[in-house]
Amino acid sequence: MLSDILSPDVFAAAMRIATPLALAAIGGTICERAGVVNIALEGMMLFGAFVGVIAVTYAGNPWVGVFAAAAAGASLALMHAFASVTLKTDQVVSGTAINILAGGLTGFFMEVIIGHPGTTDPVPRLVPVFDFPVPSAGFFAPMWRWIDVIFLSHTPIVYGTILFAIVAHWALFHTRWGLRLRALGEHPRAADTVGISVVRGRYSAVLFSGVLAGLAGANLTLEQVGSFTEGMTNGRGFIALAANIFGRWTPGGSYGAALLFGFAEALQTKLQLLRDVITIPSQFFLMLPYVLTVVVLAGVVGRAVAPAAVGKPYEKG
Amino acid sequence: MDARFRRFLALLVAFALLATMAIGCAGTDDTTDDTDTGDGAAEVDFSVAMITDVGGLGDKSFNDGVYAGLENARDDLGVEIRAVESNEIADYEPNIDQVASAGYNMIFTVGFLMTDTTIKKAPEYEDVYFVGIDQFIEEPADNTVGVLFKEHEGAYLAGVVAGLATLDPDLDDRINDDNVIGFVGGMDIPPVEKFQAGFIAGARSVNPDVQVISLYTGDFDDPAKGKEMALSAIDQGADIVFAAAGLSGAGGVPAAQERGALFIGVDQDQYLTIPGSGDVMLTSSMKLLDVAAYDLIKSAVDGAFPGGSIVEFGLAEGGVALAPFHDFEDKISQEILDAIAKAEQDILSGAITVPASRAEL
Repeated sequence: MLSDILSPDVFAAAMRIATPLALAAIGGTICERAGVVNIALEGMMLFGAFVGVIAVTYAGNPWVGVFAAAAAGASLALMHAFASVTLKTDQVVSGTAINILAGGLTGFFMEVIIGHPGTTDPVPRLVPVFDFPVPSAGFFAPMWRWIDVIFLSHTPIVYGTILFAIVAHWALFHTRWGLRLRALGEHPRAADTVGISVVRGRYSAVLFSGVLAGLAGANLTLEQVGSFTEGMTNGRGFIALAANIFGRWTPGGSYGAALLFGFAEALQTKLQLLRDVITIPSQFFLMLPYVLTVVVLAGVVGRAVAPAAVGKPYEKG
Repeated sequence: MDARFRRFLALLVAFALLATMAIGCAGTDDTTDDTDTGDGAAEVDFSVAMITDVGGLGDKSFNDGVYAGLENARDDLGVEIRAVESNEIADYEPNIDQVASAGYNMIFTVGFLMTDTTIKKAPEYEDVYFVGIDQFIEEPADNTVGVLFKEHEGAYLAGVVAGLATLDPDLDDRINDDNVIGFVGGMDIPPVEKFQAGFIAGARSVNPDVQVISLYTGDFDDPAKGKEMALSAIDQGADIVFAAAGLSGAGGVPAAQERGALFIGVDQDQYLTIPGSGDVMLTSSMKLLDVAAYDLIKSAVDGAFPGGSIVEFGLAEGGVALAPFHDFEDKISQEILDAIAKAEQDILSGAITVPASRAEL
C-alpha cells in the first residue's frame, strides 16, 4: 500500500498540478511587489486558456497558442493596469470585474467561434521535452525510472515555470530592476523622488503578471487537457493568490507553496485508495490539500508581511 | 480632475459588468421559436423549459441529453422549448422563477443538486409541470415527477466489458498484465455512486479478483483534475478507465491517449460527443435522458402526466444502455458479447439485482 502511495508518479503529478498555480502566483508576486493587487489572475488564466486553444485551432501549432495565451493574459492585464494605475480605482473591484468579464467573454466566444457551449474540440498539444528509452532491467533501472518519471517526463511550460521562479527570485532581490520594483510597492513616493516612474513600473509589473497568468492557462489547455472547457480554471487563480501570500511575496516561495499544494493534491488521489480498507467519505480526501497547505504553511512559514503600499493607488505630488 | 476620472471609472466598471451580463444572457438563453418544424409535427400550444445544472449545455453529458429529448419533442410534437443555464447553484431559483413566470407549461430541473430547489419551487407554481431529473423526491407534489435512472444497471454492463477486457490481451496491445481497472467519479452523490457500484459489481461478476481503483474528483467541470485522477489510476496498473464525472471525466480521454489505456464514457455515446476519442473509447455507459425527457413531455401533452410520482428508467424501460463499440467492434471477443447478453437477460428477468450503492456491494 505504501509503495502505491509514495510512488514516483505522485511527485510527477505534484509538479504538473503546481505549474499553473506557480505561474499565476509568481505573476501575483511581481504585481503586488509593485504595489498592485491582482485578484484577476483567475480571469486572465481562463482567458489565456481559451485564446490559446482558439489560436491553435486556426494555426495548428501549439506554440502559436502559447504566445496567443500570453498575449490574451496581457490584454486583460492592460485593462487592470489602466483601471488601477491610471484611473486609480479600487484594485479589487477592477480585478473582480475582469474575472466576471473573462467568464462572459469565453462563454460568448465559445458560441460564436466554436458554435456550441461546453468544451472545444481537441487541438494538438505540446509534447514532453525529453523522451529517453527506459532501461527495462539492470541495477539502475528502478532509480532511473524514478528520475525519468519525476524530472524528465514533463512538458515545456513545466520546466519553464521552474526557470521563471529562479530567474524572477534572483532578479527581484539581486538586481537594480528588482530593487526599483520593490520600492514601488513599499514606498512609491520615495521611488518617485529619485526619478523612478511609478506609472511605468506598475504598468509593466501588471502586464508581466498577465503574461504569466496567460501562460498558466496555456499549460492547462495546451499541455494538460488539449481542449478548453468553460470555467475550467476552477479557482486556480485564487489558490495562486494564496500561494503568493504563503510564499511571502517571493517568486521562490510562491513556487514552493504551489508545489506543496500540488503534492497534497496528488497525494489525496492516492489516499482515496484507503476507502477500499476503511469507510471514509471522499470529501474528506478532497479537503486534505487545503488543510495540509494551511497547516504546513502556518506552522513553517509564520507571519507574512505584505508590501506596505500594496493596493493603494499612487497620488503624485 | 480626479473626481471626473473616478466618475468615468465607475461608469466604465458598471458598463463592463452590464456588458458581461448581456453577453452571459446572450450566450445561455437558447430560445427556439421555430415551432413549425415541417410535416408530421402538429402545432400544440405547449412550452417546455429546462434549467441546466452547473455543468451547463455542451457538457456532452446529462444536460445535453435532456436537451436532446426536448429537441426531439419540438420536432415530433411541435412544442416550444427553451434552455436556461445555471452557472452556479445560486442561479437555480431565479432561473425557475424566470421561466415559470414567463408562462412555460413544463419545467425540467436537471440534476441531483437541484432536488431541494424543485421541492421548494414546485408548490409555488401549481399550474406548471415540474420534472426533476436525477432527483429522489419524497412524496412529490401533484405537479411534480422525480425521474431516477438505474445507472447501476448500465454501468454493470460496462463493468462486465471492462472486467473481461482487462484479462484479454488479444483485444488490444494496451491491455496489460495487471488485473486492475479504474473508475473516476465526479461529486460523490447518489447517481455517481450508482455508476460506481454497478461498474464494480459487473466487473466482479465476470472477474472476481479484479481490483477497481475508484477515485472522485469532487466536481464536474475540471478536466485537468479528471485527467490527473485517470493518470493516477493508469499509473497504478489500470488499463481501462470508466469516468462518470461530466466534463471532469472527459479529461480521462487525453490521459488514456498519453499513457496507452482504454476509456469508457458515460451518459451519452461519448465516441460521438468527444471528437478524436475513437482510439481509446471502448464503449459508453449511456443514460438515455433524451428518451426519458421525451416520454414525459409526450405524456404531459397527451394529458397523462404522472404527477406526484417517481418514475424510474432502467434497462427494461430503455433508460440505460451500453453504447456501440465503434472502433473496437471487430476486436471485442464473442466471450464478452455473450457475457453482456447474459447479464442483460439476468437483469431483465430479475435473476440479478444490481447493487446501487457501495454499501450493497
